[in-house]
Amino acid sequence: MHYRTGVSDARLNLRLRPAAWPGQTVRDFTMVLDVPPTERTDGPGPYLSHVTTLRYDKRLTSLRIVTEFTADLAPLPVPQATPALDALRQLAGDQRTLGPLAPAAYLYGASMTPLDEVIGAWAAPDLLPDTPVLDAARALAARIHREFTYASGVTTSRTLPAEAFAAKAGVCQDFAHVLIVALRMHGIPAGYVSGYLRTLPPPGRPRLVGADAMHAWAAAWCGPDAGWIGIDPTNNSLARDDHIVLGVGRDYADVTPVNGVFVGGGKQSTDFRVDVVPVDEPAAEAVVPPTTARRTG
Amino acid sequence: MCRHGVLRMPRTLYEQRRKFVKGRIAAIMASQGVGLFGPEPGIDPLAWYAGDPGADLYCASTPAVADAWRGFVAGLARQGGGQLGAAQTQIDRHVAELGIAFRLTGDEQERSWPLGPVPIVIGASEWRGIAAGLVQRAELLEAIVADIYGPQRLVREGHLPAAMVSGSPHFARRMVGLAPPRHHLQVLAIDLARGPTGEWRVLADRARFAVGVGYALENRLAVSRATGGALAEMGTRRQSDFFDALRSGIAADCQRSEPRVALLTPGRFSQSYPEQAYLARHLGFSLVEGRDLVVRDGRLFVRTIAGLKRIDALWRWINTHSIDPLNFDTRSRIGVPGLLSACESGQLAVANWMGGGVVESRAMSAFIPRLCRELRGEPLLLPNAATWWCGGPAERDHVLANLDDLVLSSSFRTPVALLPDGATRQGSSLSGEERDRLREAMSRRAMDYTAQEIIQVSTTPCLVGNRLEPRGFTLRAFLARDASGAWTVLPGGLGRISQSGELRTWLMGAGDLSADVCIVDPVAAAADQPSPRLTLSAPEEPPAIRRGAGLLPSQAADNLFWFGRYAERCQQTARAARTLLQCAGDLESDPAASGTVQRLSQMLYRWGAVSSPYGRALDIAAAALGDGTAGSSVASLEERMRSLALLLRDRLSRDSWRAISRPLAPFVPGNAESLIAAAEATIERGAAIQRLIADTLSRADAWRFLDVGLCLERASLIFQAVNALLPAEPSADDLGALLDLADAEALYIGRYMTRPFTAPAIDIVLLDPEQPRGAIFQTRRLVQHMEALPQLRHSGRADPPLRLARQLHARIEALEAEHVTHAVIDDLVDGLGGLSNAIGKRFFLQQDVLRRRGAEALLG
Repeated sequence: MHYRTGVSDARLNLRLRPAAWPGQTVRDFTMVLDVPPTERTDGPGPYLSHVTTLRYDKRLTSLRIVTEFTADLAPLPVPQATPALDALRQLAGDQRTLGPLAPAAYLYGASMTPLDEVIGAWAAPDLLPDTPVLDAARALAARIHREFTYASGVTTSRTLPAEAFAAKAGVCQDFAHVLIVALRMHGIPAGYVSGYLRTLPPPGRPRLVGADAMHAWAAAWCGPDAGWIGIDPTNNSLARDDHIVLGVGRDYADVTPVNGVFVGGGKQSTDFRVDVVPVDEPAAEAVVPPTTARRTG
Repeated sequence: MCRHGVLRMPRTLYEQRRKFVKGRIAAIMASQGVGLFGPEPGIDPLAWYAGDPGADLYCASTPAVADAWRGFVAGLARQGGGQLGAAQTQIDRHVAELGIAFRLTGDEQERSWPLGPVPIVIGASEWRGIAAGLVQRAELLEAIVADIYGPQRLVREGHLPAAMVSGSPHFARRMVGLAPPRHHLQVLAIDLARGPTGEWRVLADRARFAVGVGYALENRLAVSRATGGALAEMGTRRQSDFFDALRSGIAADCQRSEPRVALLTPGRFSQSYPEQAYLARHLGFSLVEGRDLVVRDGRLFVRTIAGLKRIDALWRWINTHSIDPLNFDTRSRIGVPGLLSACESGQLAVANWMGGGVVESRAMSAFIPRLCRELRGEPLLLPNAATWWCGGPAERDHVLANLDDLVLSSSFRTPVALLPDGATRQGSSLSGEERDRLREAMSRRAMDYTAQEIIQVSTTPCLVGNRLEPRGFTLRAFLARDASGAWTVLPGGLGRISQSGELRTWLMGAGDLSADVCIVDPVAAAADQPSPRLTLSAPEEPPAIRRGAGLLPSQAADNLFWFGRYAERCQQTARAARTLLQCAGDLESDPAASGTVQRLSQMLYRWGAVSSPYGRALDIAAAALGDGTAGSSVASLEERMRSLALLLRDRLSRDSWRAISRPLAPFVPGNAESLIAAAEATIERGAAIQRLIADTLSRADAWRFLDVGLCLERASLIFQAVNALLPAEPSADDLGALLDLADAEALYIGRYMTRPFTAPAIDIVLLDPEQPRGAIFQTRRLVQHMEALPQLRHSGRADPPLRLARQLHARIEALEAEHVTHAVIDDLVDGLGGLSNAIGKRFFLQQDVLRRRGAEALLG
C-alpha cells in the first residue's frame, strides 16, 4: 500500500491468514511486514476468520505485506443428496448453536447484503419447496454465470448487491453477494467466502476467472450432514481443490482482507499480487507476488 | 362515571349533584355570555371526570391516592383563578424557560417539549409491585445477555432459538467472550402499559439507551416549578436518589479511585441530543463525541486543551455497531477506532456494555416467561404482551390463523415484506392480497415476523382545554444499578399520553403529550412524615471538596472560542447599523455626514453583513440586521451562535440559554425608529449574553476561550473600523461614528470637552488601556489568558500563541496616536489573524484528525 502524503496513527485489520476449514490444512504460514508495527495482535475474528491487527505510531508512507503458506486440500465428497428447501429451513431453525459457522448466523441481511425483494423474486423459479438445496444453489450460480457480465470497473468494493443485480455485471464479490442474498431471501443460510484460486489450471483445463487476484465465492448450508458447500458463481463451479479458503463471513465486510483507519487525506494506492502454484497433487502453495490486480476478482 | 367523584356518596345522590352542578355552570355561562367550562375555585374539577371505573387510573385508585390527585388538581384550578386551562400556559412557560426541547425524525430545528400539567399519580403500594417486577425483569435481561455473550447455554439447551439471537441487528458477535467488568446492563428503560382491568404489562425493553430518562427529570422540574409545593403535598417521592445511584453505579466499575466519566453522544443531529446534553450537565459527566476521543496503549483519552486526559468510564448513547470502526462497522464516522481494545485491557467501563441491545427484539418477549422460569426458577411478576415469534412452525400457524386479533410486527425492527419500515401493523388491516403475500413471505422467512396481542391501555386524566378528559397512556420506567450493583428504580418515569392511540414507537410522536409520573405516599404525607426513600443503602459520604470545572475537550474549547467571536461580531454589527441610522438621520441638518454614511455602508459590506454597499441607509441597516442571506448579518450570526450554543448546551446555564434562544427583535423595514430599537435590543441582549455566560462559566479555561474569542474579534473589528471610517482627513462625523462604535463618545467629551480630533479619538479607541472596548485592552487580556492557559512545552519556552499575543500587545503599546497609519493597522489586523490561527493549531482539533479515513478504500 502506498500513501502519497503519508498517514499517521494507522490501525489496520488484516484477514490474510487462512482460517480452519473442513478439507483444508494450512502449514508454514508466514507474514512479513517491511515496516514493523508499534503493536500487533493476532486472534480469531467474529465469524470464521483470523485477524491480525497492526498499529503504527510513526508516519507511514508505504507498507508491504507478504504472506506465504502451504495448503493441503482434501475436498470432502460432494453429497449425493441434500435436503429439500422446506426441510432445510426447518433444520436450519433447529440447530442449537451460535458458533462462527452456525446456520442461524447466515440467515439475515447484513451491512453489505441487505435482504432484497427483487433478487428474491428473481431467484424464486429455481427454489421450489421440494428442490434439494445444493441443486437450487447450483442452479442460481449457473444463472448468475449466464446472465451476468464479468467486468471490473462497473462496481467497487462498496457496491451493494442490488446495484450489481440491476447492472447484471460486476466481479466475484458482486456475484457472491447476489447469490447470498438470493439464497437468504428463501431462508437458506448462505455465507461469503474470501480466498484464493490456483493461478494456472491443470493441463487441458481453462484458466479460472479471478485467478490472478484475491477471489470470493459463496457457501450454502446444506443441512447438518453435508454442512457448508462452497459455490463459485464466477466460474459456475463448486469450490473444491482449486479454491483456498481464507475466511467466511456474512458478506465482504466481515472478511475484508485489509481494512482499517488512519489519519490523513492523501491519495493511496494498493497492489495485490497473488500466485497459487501446485506443489504436488493434492497440495497447493500460495505465494504472494508476481501477477497484479486492482481488486478482488 | 367515576368512583371517587364524590366519596362514599350513593350513586343517585352523586348523579343528582352532577346534574345540579352542570345546571349551575350552564346558568353562569348563560348569564355572563362567556365560555366558562371549568369549575369554580374550590370545586373539585375531577368531579366531572368521566373515566371508566376500571380502565382509568384515577377512577381505580385507592381513596387516599384519589384524594391526593384531587388535591393536586384543585390546587391547579385555584392557581389559575378557577381556569384549569391556565395551568397549561403556566407549564409551557416553565418548559420554555428550562429550554426542554426535542426533535422528531426529519426535524431540522428542535421543538419545544410537550408536557401536560397533570401528572400520572400512582400509589406507593401499587408501585411497590411494579418496581419488584421491573427489578426482576432487569435481572432476567442481564442473565440472558450474559448467557448469549458467555456460555450460550440457553441456545445449546434449546430454550432460546439461535436464529432469535442472530436476527437482532444489535447482536454483536465480536462481543462473545468479552465480559464486562461486572455487568452487561447498567441502565435500562422498560415501557409499561396498564390494562383495562388494572394489570401492568411490559410493552418493550430498551437495553441500549434509556431514552427519556432526562425528560423524566426535566418534567419533574417543570411541574414542580409550575405548581409550587403541590407535588410535595401529595407526598411525591423524589427522583434524586435514582440519579445518585446512576452516577455512582457507572463510576463504580472504574479502576482508578477518582474516575473520569464521559457521556458519548453521536452529536447534535441525534434525536435525543438535548436530553444527552442535559444529562451530562446534571450528572457532571463530560459530554464528548467520538472525534474528541482517542485510544492509546489500551486506554481511552479525551483530547483537551491541556493534552490527552484519561477517561475511565463511558455512558454511551451510540449504537454498538457505530462505536468502533475497527471492530464493528468500518463505515462509522462517529465512533472511536480501537475503543474495544481499551475494554479488552480492562481499562474502560462502558454502560451499557456493547451488544446488550440483543434483548430488545420484539420477538424476545415470546421467550421471556419461559426464560424467567429457566434462569430464575420463578414466574414473571410483570407479564409482557402475549407474543408469538413465527420462527417456530406452531407459532407461525397460530399467527396466520388469528391475524385479525393480532398486531403484526417485524421481529427485529428491520424492513421486511409488508412492513417496509420495520414497524407494526394491525393484522386486521391487511387486505386479502396482502395476506397472500404475507403467507408467501412466511413460507420463506417466517422468522422475520412476530405477532402480539392487541393491548388495551388504561386512561388517565389529561387536561384538554379547560377540562380533564380520559386519555390512553403508557409509562416508561427507568432502572439503574447503584455502586453495589443493585438495581434502583426511578420512582415514576416518563408518562406518554397519546392523542392518536399509537403508543408503540420509540420516541414522542407529533401529537403526543408527556406527563410527570408521581409515586405518592399519601399516608406519609398526611402524617407529615418525610417520605421513605426507595433505596435502602447506607447514607453516602459527602464527596471530597474539589475545585475547577473539570476538563475542557479541545472541541468544546473550539466551540467556545467561536461562540465568543460570533457574539462579539453580532453585537458590533448591530452597533454599526445603529450608527449608520443615526448618521443618516442627521443628513438633512448636516450634509457633510454623507461621506460617513457611505463609509459605514462600505464597512458593513466588507464585514459581510450586507450583500451590497449601495442604497438607502435604511435598507442597508435593515439588511445588516435581518438579511439571512448575507453571511455575517446579525440574523446569520445569531443562527451560528445558536448552533454553537447547542453544542455547548451542557456548559451553558439556563439563563444564558434563554437569552440566546430569544429571537431577533422585530422591526419595520424602512422605519428608522423601529430599526434603531431592534439594533439596540440586539446590543443589549448581546451584552446580557456575554455577562450571563461570564458570570456562570466558572473562571476556568472554558470562560477563557470564550473571552479569547471575544477579545480577538473586538480588537480586530475596531482596527478595521478605524481603517474603514477614517479617510486621510477625517471629518467630525467620521470620528464621531468611530467613537460611537467603540462606545466612547461620552468618555471623549468628558475628557476633551471639544469636537472629535483624530489623534485623541484614535488614542481612546485603540491605545487607552482603561477603555474596555479599546484595542489595547483586548490585547492585554489576550496575553493574560494565554499566560493562564496550560502550556505544552516543558522547556520553559512559551507556546506560539503566548509569544504572538505578547508581541502584538507590545507593538500596540509602542504606538503613538499621531503616527498610526492604515498600513500599521493592516499589519496589526494580520497579526490578530496569525494569533487566531496559532490558538487554533495549539488548542483545537486539527483538520486532519477530523479527516480520519476508513480504509475500506484500501481495496480500490
